[in-house]
Amino acid sequence: MTALLEVDDLSVAYGAIEAVRSVSFVVEEGQIVCLIGANGAGKTTTLRTISGLLRPRAGDIRFDGKSIAKEPAHVILSRGVAHSPEGRRVFARMSVEENLLLGAYTRKDEAGVRTDMNRVYELFPVLGERKQQKAGLFSGGEQQMLAIGRAMMSKPRLLMLDEPSMGLSPIMTQLIFDTIKELQQQGTTILLVEQNALAALALSDRGYVVDLGQTTLEGPGHDLLADERVRAAYLGQ
Amino acid sequence: MSRFTGLIPLALVRPFNALGGLLLLVAAMLPWATFLLNDGPFPEKSTLQYFDAPFELTGFRWHLLVFGVVALVTTFVPLRGKDRVLRALGWGGLVIGLVCGYFIAENGGGFGAITAADGASAFGSVVAVLGGLLLILGSMAKPLDEIPEWPTSLFGLTGMAARLEAYAYLIVAFAGVLWLVTQTLTAGGIGGAAFPYAGPIFLAFLGFAGGLLGALHGIGLTRWVSHLSEKHRAFSIIVLLACAFLLPFPFTGAGSQYWMQVAAVIGVYAATAIGLNIVVGLAGLLDLGYVAFMGIGAFVAANLSGAVASQVGLDLPFPVAALIAAVIAGIFGAIVGSPTLRVRGDYLAIVTLAFGEIFTRAAQNNIGELTGGASAIPGVPQVTMFGTAFNEKITLFGAELPSGVLYYFMIVLVVGAIMAVFANLKNSRMGRAWIAIREDEDAARAMGIRTGKAKILAFLVGAMLAGLAGAIFVHKLGTASYDSFKFLESVTLLAAVILGGMGTIPGAVLGASLLFVLPEKLREFDDFRLFFFGLALVFIMRFRPQGLVPDRHRRAELAGETAEGKPIETEEEQAVLEHEERGHAGPSAPKEDRA
Repeated sequence: MTALLEVDDLSVAYGAIEAVRSVSFVVEEGQIVCLIGANGAGKTTTLRTISGLLRPRAGDIRFDGKSIAKEPAHVILSRGVAHSPEGRRVFARMSVEENLLLGAYTRKDEAGVRTDMNRVYELFPVLGERKQQKAGLFSGGEQQMLAIGRAMMSKPRLLMLDEPSMGLSPIMTQLIFDTIKELQQQGTTILLVEQNALAALALSDRGYVVDLGQTTLEGPGHDLLADERVRAAYLGQ
Repeated sequence: MSRFTGLIPLALVRPFNALGGLLLLVAAMLPWATFLLNDGPFPEKSTLQYFDAPFELTGFRWHLLVFGVVALVTTFVPLRGKDRVLRALGWGGLVIGLVCGYFIAENGGGFGAITAADGASAFGSVVAVLGGLLLILGSMAKPLDEIPEWPTSLFGLTGMAARLEAYAYLIVAFAGVLWLVTQTLTAGGIGGAAFPYAGPIFLAFLGFAGGLLGALHGIGLTRWVSHLSEKHRAFSIIVLLACAFLLPFPFTGAGSQYWMQVAAVIGVYAATAIGLNIVVGLAGLLDLGYVAFMGIGAFVAANLSGAVASQVGLDLPFPVAALIAAVIAGIFGAIVGSPTLRVRGDYLAIVTLAFGEIFTRAAQNNIGELTGGASAIPGVPQVTMFGTAFNEKITLFGAELPSGVLYYFMIVLVVGAIMAVFANLKNSRMGRAWIAIREDEDAARAMGIRTGKAKILAFLVGAMLAGLAGAIFVHKLGTASYDSFKFLESVTLLAAVILGGMGTIPGAVLGASLLFVLPEKLREFDDFRLFFFGLALVFIMRFRPQGLVPDRHRRAELAGETAEGKPIETEEEQAVLEHEERGHAGPSAPKEDRA
């Protein structure tokens, strides 16, 4: 296996406040990797920095062997890194179809976009049934499906999902996690940020614990699940 | 569902409607003023003294007769959406009665003028108001019907036959629009000493036009026509252009120099408003100094036109000068737009406000000797093409068209072209990117949209259109003065865009027409006209915040309607919309999922 994404001693600051101090992790091609940690640990900041929405203060991010730490967001996206942001952030007043088209904004191959759009509709039939409806009228879970589908529209090699289960019912959370597994089986590498550590670790090939802006623990998902410290701190056991 | 629903019992609906219609009918045939007003007889022979032909109705009295007859017929025939029709007719009758009644009473020095005085009686306006009120009350018994949907082809035709059928409807519909536009433009006459009642007659006409459109909307006709015209967009544009070209011909009644003047100025502002609509309506960047770009275009064109006062000493043909004006305005647009990369929302509005003010002050003080300062640049020559100056009369197809008509034709073409550009932009990749930026800038960036570039481009395109409009404006006017490009103009343009409906073309054109026609039409009321104007704005914002012709993205947000036009029912749906509004700032409150 080759490393698709390598984050190396990353540090990010909002002005004087250092949100990420020293985060390092590796995502190998074809894996699901998750970052878990408490609120404010720096997980979302890490994802936003990888996708180019924030600039790192120090450290390096390499995608497919090349540094993307200094590239703008649109270049990173066209290299193959898609980001489904925290809180879903679908365009509420635009239709499902318009949302998906915006996901494919950097692509020029119209036929390919159509094909991928139909794939999204197959993956989430509820979206296909209501493609002309405004995204804001969908339930939270359906909006999460749309956010994932929209990110998939750029045909990414690496899909980064920020808190996909946030605010969803257990059934909907299960459905979203099943979909993530399915996307992995179809060949997409996935970097997952989750507070729902139990479900995320069970799904992941590898997990990293982020605490106060640093990666403190790492290991295969089921090993972390069994780790005493993780169980105490994040699983409430 | 209004809070008045259930105000009257169901059993009273039909009697109320019948009586209301009858009263409108009667009002049309009654005298309206008991005695001769100081400014001369009130129009349409409605003063008792001149009341010699109760059945020979014209003007507002004819309109009331039509409303009354239609209301009576509608009351007794089964018709889907009839309560909306009756309500609209009621409002129309009420407005006509109130406006004329108030004006006669105010000018005649008391209510005697509209009731009874000196042994004479003239109850026209009172009866009209009563009739209108009864019709409005009649619609309050139960929730209003759904607006009916009409099939695309009324005869179930398909293919070519259906297409031709739709074309026929569109021609009829646009002919109706042409008629309404002509009537609105000329309603009440020019004003001034020759037409002392221009103001009230115009307002009464607006009551008629509003009632008419409301009734047509109630039976689903306007929605059906707009659906047809969207389906056959190219044909609609051709017909619309043809109608616009027919406007100056003698048979429309608007073919005089004065109306051409008014129409051309409206056109200039409509073009500018469409440009502003790109910046504000599509990309969501609030620009409070937009008219400065129009001013830049105007001064550039004036300086290149060979005007004596120009310091440049070039005499370029109009198309070249206009193009240069547009490009220079565009460059300034990009310069002003570049701070948008760093500031958002209110802060951007302040930057643009400051720019507008800098421009006006610089022009006022003749900085760079390019604006003529307080003495302006007079004597900008008329546009001349093919040996004809654009302020001359011309003869076309045997009809003599008034002077100024060529400017009107030119501005119609320009507005048409700008509309086409806007429509294509809006449905393009770029347009989607602008809308995405307006909706959620961070999410737009995550989609790979280069938001900085897109925002500057919005400013650039908008400023170019304003610059082009300014070049036409200055040639038509003959003078380039800083006075024409003050803050108030920016505000009025912005109001036009918001009033008409953000992000839509017909909205911007309609908004510009209204905002620049109303002050012209309300001259009668002198100091009061700005008051009326403001009042109208407040009312529209209260009752139709999404604008007169809303954009489908905005409809959901502002009218409290979902995509299907149903009211938002659950708090959850509202929360979903609001959540998206809030943006990224705070931690998002988890919401229960319905599934």
